[in-house]
Amino acid sequence: MPLHDVGYRAWQGHRRGPWSAAVAIATTGTKLAWTSRWLRRAVFFAWSPALFFAASFFAFEQAIDEGRITSLQERAARGSNLDGIGLLGTILADTLGRSDAAQTHVDRDAELVATRRLVWSRLLLAFMRAPQAVLLAVVVGLVAPALISRDLRAKAWLVYFTRPLSGIHYIAGKIAVLATVVAAVTVLPALALWFAGVLVSPSVWVVVETWDLPLRIVAASVALAIPTVLVALAYSSLTAESRIASFAWFATWAACWIAHSSLATADFVAAMDAHATAVAEGVESDDDQWRPLPRRVNWVARAAGVDTTIDRWSWISPYHAIGVIQAWIFGVETRPEAYVPPLIAMIVVSLVSIVVLAWRVTAPLRA
Amino acid sequence: MSRLSPVEEPVLATGIVKRYGKRTVLDRVSLTVHPGITGLVGPNGAGKSTLVKAILGLVRLAEGDVRVFGLDPRREPHAVRRNVGVVPEDECSVPGLSGVEMVRYAAQLSGIPGIESLRRAHEVLDWCDAGQERYRPVETLSVGMRQKVAFAAAIVHDPRMVILDEPTNGLDPIERRAMLGRLTTLAHDHGKTVFVSTHVLPDVQAICDRVIVLAAGRVRLKGRLDELTRPVAPQLRLEITGSVAACLDRLAAVGIRGRRLDDDTLHLPVQDAAGLERLWQATRAAGVVVRALTPVQERFEDVFLRAIAQPQEAAHAAS
Repeated sequence: MPLHDVGYRAWQGHRRGPWSAAVAIATTGTKLAWTSRWLRRAVFFAWSPALFFAASFFAFEQAIDEGRITSLQERAARGSNLDGIGLLGTILADTLGRSDAAQTHVDRDAELVATRRLVWSRLLLAFMRAPQAVLLAVVVGLVAPALISRDLRAKAWLVYFTRPLSGIHYIAGKIAVLATVVAAVTVLPALALWFAGVLVSPSVWVVVETWDLPLRIVAASVALAIPTVLVALAYSSLTAESRIASFAWFATWAACWIAHSSLATADFVAAMDAHATAVAEGVESDDDQWRPLPRRVNWVARAAGVDTTIDRWSWISPYHAIGVIQAWIFGVETRPEAYVPPLIAMIVVSLVSIVVLAWRVTAPLRA
Repeated sequence: MSRLSPVEEPVLATGIVKRYGKRTVLDRVSLTVHPGITGLVGPNGAGKSTLVKAILGLVRLAEGDVRVFGLDPRREPHAVRRNVGVVPEDECSVPGLSGVEMVRYAAQLSGIPGIESLRRAHEVLDWCDAGQERYRPVETLSVGMRQKVAFAAAIVHDPRMVILDEPTNGLDPIERRAMLGRLTTLAHDHGKTVFVSTHVLPDVQAICDRVIVLAAGRVRLKGRLDELTRPVAPQLRLEITGSVAACLDRLAAVGIRGRRLDDDTLHLPVQDAAGLERLWQATRAAGVVVRALTPVQERFEDVFLRAIAQPQEAAHAAS
């Protein structure tokens, strides 16, 4: 019994609109998700790769500060190994080797600005692609499957739909939960990385030179978030068992990755055979389309757009499709034939997911 | 709020028909829920839950019209739901939240802002006598406590009407009495409309002002409870101390043919003031002490069983 039992009292306050309910769904959902120890660990790990990439930023800026950038460019243009300057490795070598500025030497300052933009863009892209996209798949896989399926299992839809809110507000609240996770795993570490780059650079004017990169980081994160979040929620809405939704989520990533790798490998083998045949017949083969990868290019560098061959099967795998779209956002990939198919694929996937989500969430209301 | 009609009837349903596939769940149901406490009773599968969903605009009707405080719940669901609180039959909750967080969440979903929602949640839980159990996760609460939390969540936004589906399911007698007391307080002291869907007929008889009996998707009976339980031929129940046999003899002598129920209770067919005067004379002459004299009411259970036993067409014509 409370000390001051006031009995039942009417409530006379001002009520907010239905979007405040969406905010409540988002904050409560985030709070519930954060109670998962695994999620906290995953988010912690999601920040750790930023330290390695920050070291690369430092190495690059140190090279500029010490006046070694010109010699590095010349070495890169000759195809020399630059791994000695840190994690930057083949990313920097390829960037400097391909830089127009490295070829012309017209204006050292302009050359530095152009080189810095290229290197920073590729580093940020590599960061968002190689560790963050994989970690995001894991984190979304931890959070998303339970978001709607748990409500279905607990019959909590009556908690929501006997209140003044509709399916749109409910879905928006759930999306906001995952958007928060995406921000914690990709946007914030990438922005922190850019900020670290500014701090280790010799001049504060670097902010002016690279002002668009934070916007590109946000845009690339949105491109990553929209299809992944919608697909994950669509899976969650299809079953009352979150384990099944989790399995479907990870199976989709794995199966699409395997399918992409198989098809890309088949293309690679075909190109090699064609090249070998042409060489054997003494005919010059046109292998620009599927040129074999340089031996030293690793997967981090490929994520940064070092591999310039067009991946015609990227649209099959969400990971690869989103990677090409992000490369386009960072200005690393500029060929429409490379980024349009994955862009269309991700738009279609997102639209289908929205339809499934809306159909499932409003099913009790359409009975 | 200002758009709500000040009409007397919180719910007005006219000829509503709801079908799931080929099965007709509600068949031309017309009813009015008046202010006060209205009980909705019926056997399993009668269509009670579907009727509640229709009132909330949660199902599409094949025919007919529902108005809640003058509003169409399908066209203006938000306005309707702002003024209605629901305690569903199924245990529906958000796992992981504590009792007070669940009620606060319900308040926030209804538009009550942040800190105020927490204050209001505690206030309502205090009224529901929730105690310290409110801090435990909802999935670990006892049935009675869950019911309190669900009830608190339904009234936290101070709705004009509360709809409860089996509110005393699983409650012990003390909790059941407390819950019925809260409903009576809400209806009679705070002017709320309480609409209770239940199987438990004693609950209906204990608190309801009006009753609607639904069976096989049709309204079999509706009206004020005291009118429905009034016998066809008015009778009085007489409780005495003294000889029942002597009393019956004296009553017979003045033309009142009484019926003995037990050692101190009689049922008497007295319909007017003259008959009452003869009754007093007879008891005085028999030398018995009159302990109570009350109108005989039928048990609601008997009324209910008679109503659902009617042939469907006759019942439909009657309703």
